[in-house]
Amino acid sequence: MPKSINDRTANARLMMAAFPVELGDDVADGKQDLLSVLMFEVGGAFYAIGVEHTEGVVDCPRITPLPSPPDGVAGIASVRGRMTVVMDLGLKADDHSSRRRLILVKGDAQLGLLADRVDGVLALKPKKVRPIAQGKDSVQPQRPEFGWHAKTYFKNGERRVPILDIELLSET
Amino acid sequence: MKNGKSQITNSLIDDKALLSEYLSESEELIDSLLADLDSLASRAGDSPDTNLINRAFRTVHSLKGLSGMMGLAEVQSLAHDFEDILDDLRLGQLAMNERTSAALQEAGAGLAALVGGAARGKSTDEDFERLRQLLASITLKSRERQKREDTGLEMLNLSRSERALLTEYEEHRVNENVRAGRSFYAIIVTFTIGKLDTQYRALVGRLEEAGELITTLPEKTSADTLVGFKLVFAAALKESDVKRIVAPYGGRVSRLERSPWRKAGAALRAAGRIMPGRSGSAKDASGEMDAVLPPGFAQESLQPLSPSVRVEMSQIDELSGLAHELSIGIEKLTSLAETYLDAAKLGARERFDLRFNARRMQREFLELEERLVGLRMVSLAQTFTRAARLAGRLARELGKSVSVEVIGRETQLDKVIVDRVADSIYHVLRNALDHGLESLDERRLAGKKARGKITLEARLEGTRAVISISDDGNGIDQAEVRHRAVEAGLIAPDEVLSAEETLRLILRPGFSTANQISAVSGRGVGLDAVERTIYELGGEVRISSEKGKWTRFDLAVPTTLVMISAFIVRASGWRYAINVAQIIELLYLAPEDILGRDGRRSVAWRGGTIPLVELGYTLGLGGARLLHQPAGHNGEGHSAGNGSVKVPVLITNAADRNVAVAVERFDEQREIIVKSLGSVGRKLKGISGAVDLEGGDVALVLDMPSLLVLRSMRL
Repeated sequence: MPKSINDRTANARLMMAAFPVELGDDVADGKQDLLSVLMFEVGGAFYAIGVEHTEGVVDCPRITPLPSPPDGVAGIASVRGRMTVVMDLGLKADDHSSRRRLILVKGDAQLGLLADRVDGVLALKPKKVRPIAQGKDSVQPQRPEFGWHAKTYFKNGERRVPILDIELLSET
Repeated sequence: MKNGKSQITNSLIDDKALLSEYLSESEELIDSLLADLDSLASRAGDSPDTNLINRAFRTVHSLKGLSGMMGLAEVQSLAHDFEDILDDLRLGQLAMNERTSAALQEAGAGLAALVGGAARGKSTDEDFERLRQLLASITLKSRERQKREDTGLEMLNLSRSERALLTEYEEHRVNENVRAGRSFYAIIVTFTIGKLDTQYRALVGRLEEAGELITTLPEKTSADTLVGFKLVFAAALKESDVKRIVAPYGGRVSRLERSPWRKAGAALRAAGRIMPGRSGSAKDASGEMDAVLPPGFAQESLQPLSPSVRVEMSQIDELSGLAHELSIGIEKLTSLAETYLDAAKLGARERFDLRFNARRMQREFLELEERLVGLRMVSLAQTFTRAARLAGRLARELGKSVSVEVIGRETQLDKVIVDRVADSIYHVLRNALDHGLESLDERRLAGKKARGKITLEARLEGTRAVISISDDGNGIDQAEVRHRAVEAGLIAPDEVLSAEETLRLILRPGFSTANQISAVSGRGVGLDAVERTIYELGGEVRISSEKGKWTRFDLAVPTTLVMISAFIVRASGWRYAINVAQIIELLYLAPEDILGRDGRRSVAWRGGTIPLVELGYTLGLGGARLLHQPAGHNGEGHSAGNGSVKVPVLITNAADRNVAVAVERFDEQREIIVKSLGSVGRKLKGISGAVDLEGGDVALVLDMPSLLVLRSMRL
């Protein structure tokens, strides 16, 4: 009897099965606790989110606009019977047309993240995850108002990819 | 119950209000009874839980009284028979085995069916006779009288008159405690009349934590203002421990066993033997129940089973509506206060006080609204208990054996959701029993236990409750599902599907008809009906399975639900839903009826002038529409006879002012389920949720008063 098919590891497994896993160059020893993140691209910006915070990726249904929405909120979409608050973290915030996928985020906030492309699940060594320092070590040009959605980032090649913080995201 | 030839007309309750009162009251009693019988059945074989039997006894007793009051003599007499059986069980005169417990469950279900029928005058003599025989068979068949017990009273140091005060049940408890090798103590306490109630209860509470209080006997005291008791207490405790418990209450403790018995008892305990049995007197004990009960007990047995009152759901909804109106008023007041704070020459102290109190009031109203929502919540206990019983019965019909585990029956959901989701739970359950669980032979071949296992589990996941129904049957064969789906034309032969997508195919309409029909689960409705119901509630069905091992259905539904009658309008090309309770009037205005310039428009209405706003503009979707000119395209507006285009307008009320709101088009009125926008969406002012429309569209549900108060402060 499955006790908790929805628990974190199971979810991570499902996501890993759904997307190609790229392992970092140095995971040969493999013994460490790896952090699984889903990397995606939206409106020219790259983000990552912990796989355990996600519920799945779906094609984004029609988005209904909200009157004077908070920054980054594109509107409401009905996904699997639930009203999802669709967030667009892209740099070109007004252009929702090309966005095709919606990453469903776990939790009471009922959030979904728009994505032009879901790049896959990356297994990160903990030491690869670095805190975002204020001022200097700033992450690559994201929309400044979303700076506070992430506390950490990792380097993917030359690109610095912020790892979205679920609590900050829900405080939108 | 079907109408029969020999209808009992004299047991019909004519008064409708009385009937519904009786039905709801007896339904509660019966549910409680059935739940207790189920618990008893689940531990048949072990020594039965006396608390459970006692509670079941009290429940049947209440049902008997209630039915008597309503003049339902037949139900009353059956309840009496039922009571007798439970009494025999309490006294250990009837053995609790699997057969007895199954028969009791069946009798309980029979009683449940009869009560409703009898009250409506729809039960027949045959129905009653069948149940009467069933009850009689329980007493006859399994009245394998347990070995008659030695009356352990012999060994207790009680006077003849004291012994006479003991009921048969108490005698039975003495014997049970002797068997269990516990020690007996007499505790003599005196209380002043003023402190009797609290002190007695406190002492009893402490004693019951440590052992069993068998009875309370009266004891002489030295003064009229004192009340004395002798408590007969059994526990596996040393005398010094009992003394420690009693000390704060000033009681005297002594061993109650006569000394030869004490030695014999110790010897037997040492040898690991129990007391031998001997036949005792077995007279009718049902009348002795309330013979000598001390104040605490008497009060307890007089108390109704549940300390609640029943309220119509609509009353709660009205209160919620009222609270909501008030909270909007407060919001308006707060914003007014903010405005005047700057104008008035107030000191820092006054400013602070004003702000502080306004905030507090807002917070308290929020809490009030939340609590009102909470009143609509009921637990899943009833539904799960019924489902578990259904599973047992169906399994028997199918010649299968099943044990049902229930987890999280205390999970609370809105009553409307519980009522709606119940059928889906039963449906999935039937499916699990019929298709999920294998036959006994198949299970044996697969190396599984003969007895299948079904788990009903409810748990909260954020704002949703997840109800899982899982079985340890043969799982879902994905290849087979795929094959059938292709056959039924649901998918193309070369369509690539993930495992989850494949499993979800069984939810598609048309899939179950491609399946073979069986007596239990193939009753015309497929799993697609389950998915539709859950989806309409704002939930989701998830399926997981491992071939040959298990299947699990998760029904995720919101815990709260708001259903309203709404009017759908269009503005700036989007559809919006507005609670009809917030609409005073709908009308079409001719352009010439609109006074003033853009931004300060008004209309004449009911002898006055009220402001007019445009919904699309108010929502911040595009600029103000030119209401004075025909919209011309998209079929907007309403063509009047003379060819000029009229503007659809609804009159609403915000903060005690009437306001006209112009829209693009009136659509229709319908009942909608308002879905929550989650913790982020809840912060959006002026929107109370969203509703699914056909074609995957979503309409926001507007809360007109707060939207208008928020958007146009100039009102």
